[in-house]
Amino acid sequence: MAAAGSVKAALQVAEVLETIVSRCMGPEGRQVLCTKPTGEVLLSRDGGRLLQALHLEHPIARVIVACVSSHLKKAGDGAKTFIVLLCHLLRGLHAITDKEKGDLMSENMQTHGKHWKSCCQWKCISQALLTFQTHTLDSIMDQYLSRHFLSIFSSSANERTLCRSSSELLLEAYFCGRVGRNNHKFISQLMCDYFFKCMTCKSGIEIFELMDDYFVELNVGVTGPPVSDSKIIAGLLLHRDFSVYCPADGDIRIVMVTEAIQPPFTTSGSEFFLNSETQFQTSQFWIMERTKAIMKHLNGQNVKLLLSSVKQPNSVVYYAALNGISVVECLSAKEVSLIQRITDLSPFVPQASSQYDISNTALVKFCKPFILRSKRYVHLGLISTCAFIPHCIVLCGPVQGLIEQHENALHGAFKMLRQLHKDLDLSYIRYASDQNDTLSIPVSKNRRENDQLVETGNKSIQRPYQDTVVKDKDDLEKTQTYLKVYSNLVVSDIELEAYIPCSTPELTSEDTFQIDETLRCLSPGEHRIIGDCAPLAEGNSIANSTTENMRTEIFCENLQITKITRKQSMSPVKYNSLDEGTCQSYYSSSIPAGSVLPVGGNFEILLHYYLTKYAKKCQSSEETMVSMLIANALLGIPKILCRYKNGKYSFPHLYLKALHALETNQPVVSSQTGLESVIGKYQLLTSVLQCLIKILTVDLIISIKRQPQKVHHQDSEDEL
Amino acid sequence: MSRLEAKKPSLCESEPLTSERVRAALSVLKGIVTSCYGPSGRLKQLHNGLGGYVRTTSQSWALLSNLSVTHPVLKILTASVQNQAACFGDCGLFTAILCCNLIENVQRLALTPAAVIRLNKHLLSLCTDYLKSEACGCRIPVDFSSSRILLCLVRSILTSKPACMLTRNEIDHISALILRAFLLTIPEHTEEHIILGKTMIVPLKGQRVKDSVVLPGILIEMSEIQFARLLPFKKADVLKVALFGMSLSGDFSDTGEGTVMVSRGVSLENAVLDQLLRLGRQLVSDHVDLVLCQKVIHPSLKQFLSTHRVIAIDRVGGTLMEPLSKVTGTQPIGSLDSVSPNSYGSVKNVCPAQFGFKHFLHLIPNEVSICSLLLCNRNDTAWDELKLTCQTALHVLQSTIKEPWVLLGGGCTETHLAAYIRHKTHTEPESLLSDEGCTQTDLELIAEAFCSALESLAGSLEHDGGETLTDMKYGHCWSVQAGSPAVVSWADLLSQCGCGLHNSQEELSWSFLKSTRHPIAPDTCLPQTATDSAGSLTVDCLTAKLGGLQVAVETANLILDLSYIIEDKN
Repeated sequence: MAAAGSVKAALQVAEVLETIVSRCMGPEGRQVLCTKPTGEVLLSRDGGRLLQALHLEHPIARVIVACVSSHLKKAGDGAKTFIVLLCHLLRGLHAITDKEKGDLMSENMQTHGKHWKSCCQWKCISQALLTFQTHTLDSIMDQYLSRHFLSIFSSSANERTLCRSSSELLLEAYFCGRVGRNNHKFISQLMCDYFFKCMTCKSGIEIFELMDDYFVELNVGVTGPPVSDSKIIAGLLLHRDFSVYCPADGDIRIVMVTEAIQPPFTTSGSEFFLNSETQFQTSQFWIMERTKAIMKHLNGQNVKLLLSSVKQPNSVVYYAALNGISVVECLSAKEVSLIQRITDLSPFVPQASSQYDISNTALVKFCKPFILRSKRYVHLGLISTCAFIPHCIVLCGPVQGLIEQHENALHGAFKMLRQLHKDLDLSYIRYASDQNDTLSIPVSKNRRENDQLVETGNKSIQRPYQDTVVKDKDDLEKTQTYLKVYSNLVVSDIELEAYIPCSTPELTSEDTFQIDETLRCLSPGEHRIIGDCAPLAEGNSIANSTTENMRTEIFCENLQITKITRKQSMSPVKYNSLDEGTCQSYYSSSIPAGSVLPVGGNFEILLHYYLTKYAKKCQSSEETMVSMLIANALLGIPKILCRYKNGKYSFPHLYLKALHALETNQPVVSSQTGLESVIGKYQLLTSVLQCLIKILTVDLIISIKRQPQKVHHQDSEDEL
Repeated sequence: MSRLEAKKPSLCESEPLTSERVRAALSVLKGIVTSCYGPSGRLKQLHNGLGGYVRTTSQSWALLSNLSVTHPVLKILTASVQNQAACFGDCGLFTAILCCNLIENVQRLALTPAAVIRLNKHLLSLCTDYLKSEACGCRIPVDFSSSRILLCLVRSILTSKPACMLTRNEIDHISALILRAFLLTIPEHTEEHIILGKTMIVPLKGQRVKDSVVLPGILIEMSEIQFARLLPFKKADVLKVALFGMSLSGDFSDTGEGTVMVSRGVSLENAVLDQLLRLGRQLVSDHVDLVLCQKVIHPSLKQFLSTHRVIAIDRVGGTLMEPLSKVTGTQPIGSLDSVSPNSYGSVKNVCPAQFGFKHFLHLIPNEVSICSLLLCNRNDTAWDELKLTCQTALHVLQSTIKEPWVLLGGGCTETHLAAYIRHKTHTEPESLLSDEGCTQTDLELIAEAFCSALESLAGSLEHDGGETLTDMKYGHCWSVQAGSPAVVSWADLLSQCGCGLHNSQEELSWSFLKSTRHPIAPDTCLPQTATDSAGSLTVDCLTAKLGGLQVAVETANLILDLSYIIEDKN
């Protein structure tokens, strides 16, 4: 049986999913209880988990779920928004095709033909979507949206440090959508405390990678006590008890082994001929003596704790106890590698000769049993040699399902933070002919607007820029020196041109050859900017008005941040192709790590605004249509987020206020205090568009009612 | 090849709490738990058609773990109550009833879940802050220099479990035993961290309750034949003990990964037996008096040891190993060759003991922190119930050491708390309404729901058709028997409040719990003399009750927040 794949069918599916998902979305969202076939219950507000728990049968639904889960693997967040956005896009498409159906009907086409025709149309639309996603979106992000970005890092001249208050805001907004209402504040506070306790001043992204990778080892769930009993514990909790515990004081030396310490009776692949009973007894005796000697030696080296990834024989445990060495056995591979990463400890291999120094030891501050609800754990105070100071989260909750929800949410938050610490590269083509109308005027005009935005944004969202004020002078001087350097280079005007659009932070190390290139292919429009820039440079060096101080300083930071993160590994950011007559410019830029925007649909409204503006300037009708479609669909998200609000916080009010602010170049003030990652949002939008393209390109769904056949992959090597 | 079957789609239910099915199920559950609550609670017979004996119980843990609930909402509720009971020991029924009451009361109100949850949370923190504060009028400090309050605590627990089928005398006996057993687990020489010992509960069914005893040390059960063969002991000051954590049966299992080729005529069994006997000779020459082995001892070795007047006991089992190593003060030996003389432990004395039809070897340690509670009751089900109760009591005593406070029992804490919340929300609602989005009316409605949930909890202690009252001064709970004449003054009709702290001759005024009253400011200072003079108080464990309160409100919030249920039908 085959069914026509159509926007309508997909819309129906998406709408059903939307009704389920939208009720869990946003700060007012509620919980969903899932039962497993085994009878366990699980609480969740995680969109991905809900979609999977539904076990959907409809093929289009399954395509959507697959797309969502692949997106989640990448970004760790945004499943619910995915569905809502997709649904609105489909709704928009449906409306468009409905409108055009009238024309088709007048032509009196056959139904079958009509289907094929509409398929062709969708094909075209999906092509347009693809070009939009690959080119237009990036350029809009880069040119317009980036000026609204805030950063989660409190910026100083040379390094970036995570700002406590903005990360609190970020996490609170994240957990608002993930955890039940009565716990989200507590959990987000716990999480924030946790990673600030684990961090040292020098740690960066690697700490989040570590927390993400070893999440299971770093938390312990306890059922029974209320959630508010959850806590953070300094040190590492191993999920097992001591085999032998010998109390010891002071700093304790530990060794780790990955094999049995007692020499085996026989090794694999060998044969042991027993000729007499005494031979057997002496070999047994030798093994025991050997074990005894090794343990004595460890004791002599002041080792007080033995960590083993395998089960040790009885005798090892016995001799360890005699020598006052505590033993922990059966560590998982992950635990072993976590301890190795924290302490740089490599496994110890017992050697034949007993006179050797054990170099592979590490120190722990303490090692003691830790009891949580009558279950025993090993509590190690590892002394860290890397940027991660070990701490553990003990998560409490009345039921296992709730603890799991919190665990998942925490894990997702680590993923999200990990993503946030990466730059995201954008690349797009800008046609020279376009530059006249799209670039020159808005950039020169918006430059000031942007500065204002950032400046006022500072005040309104309380980003700790206080320190930057102090550094203001230094930075300014630096900027000036930069400017001087440029002016020394003679081609300074052009350099400045590259300097001014703050969204494309150019590297300063452009060689003159490339500058020449730039010079040659510059369009008249760009010269106008240069004209604008010249007085600015003057003003900077001579007048030093306060607003400009601020602006250049922020510029400078922007530059430095990107410079640090990229470490100059990227080649010059901008290059123009001379070969083509049309004079295209390939731009590549990036969303800097740590970019955030206020929550509550801010990103969507901004993108909506710029997309509608862009759509008005588009020449081709298709491009206009696609831009408008996406722009309108984006509004669906703030609409849902505000559905329970009224009066000042209702959606129309919010929307008009934001539009007004954008038109008059005022800062967009959000009613909500949380923050969210821009990169996550951007990735979400691209994933949704890709999913939509996938759905649109299907014209027929064929259902097969038999067992899937095994496909034998024949290696080409076999045939050869 | 395995059969592949497509997964069935799940069932998605929207707004579960509004459905009639869930409401009915919740009210049935509430009926079950409410009727079990308190000293006069009704017993439940749990009968599993598939086997096992019929269990008579009124304890939450036994009840809920045997019930099979099907609806996911109920699963959440029962799981959370069971976890609470397992974690805090006591107050499982309290949690269950409070949670059901809260859900039921809130559902009647037409408020959004968001507002309900937020306000419930505020009220909960109001309660917990109050119960933890110095000014709290319903908690009593525990004086460890006298056993009075601790004994009251244990007795309250025993009386609240009617399925143990104990008479008043038996309750006194058992509560004294439990307290003694608990005191024996406190080590004599303490460092900075006190590590409590353990009480081993030894079953002896079919005997009279009065035959129960507490003994310091460990009882190892043995068969009658073994018991008869036990030799008279050498009398020494201290007996040397060797404790083996490995098998002494002469098996040779771990040969490594390679192969072992044995020549003809070589007998490994003999070799190992030789080793064992050598070990035996070493034990004898080291003057070991008692050999204990977790696993099996080879008969020849046993024979050898007994000819040298060494007692050998094998198959002790894994559970006894840790207490044994603690009692003897040694680590289990894990090697046949070269046993270090340091690894022998010692006990003060060993004597055979016979209780009822069972035979034991009694190990009396030098320093007591492990004791055995030999618990007797008439039949299986009553014994199970009594054992659970004893464990609860021991657990509660342990948590009382950590937090040396007890709460007033008999419903007085609940009514007092309700009065306090009413008073607080009436006089200073601003402090609770700091969040946006809630009005004063919302707060009043939720506070009323919360307080009446607490009060009906206190009211459910009464099962015989009587009425529950509260006084207007302390906010305590008073109950009056059914069918009392209405004309007599309350002061004559009532005698004592639920906890036994106040009596009716104190010039108090009363009103029915269910009637609407003006909020009163409950008297928050406890008269010191009253707590000292009052005879027998009914008190509850602070930790358990506080935990129960928190879990109940959290679970209720959780259930009220549910918007969908997705049931996996595979």
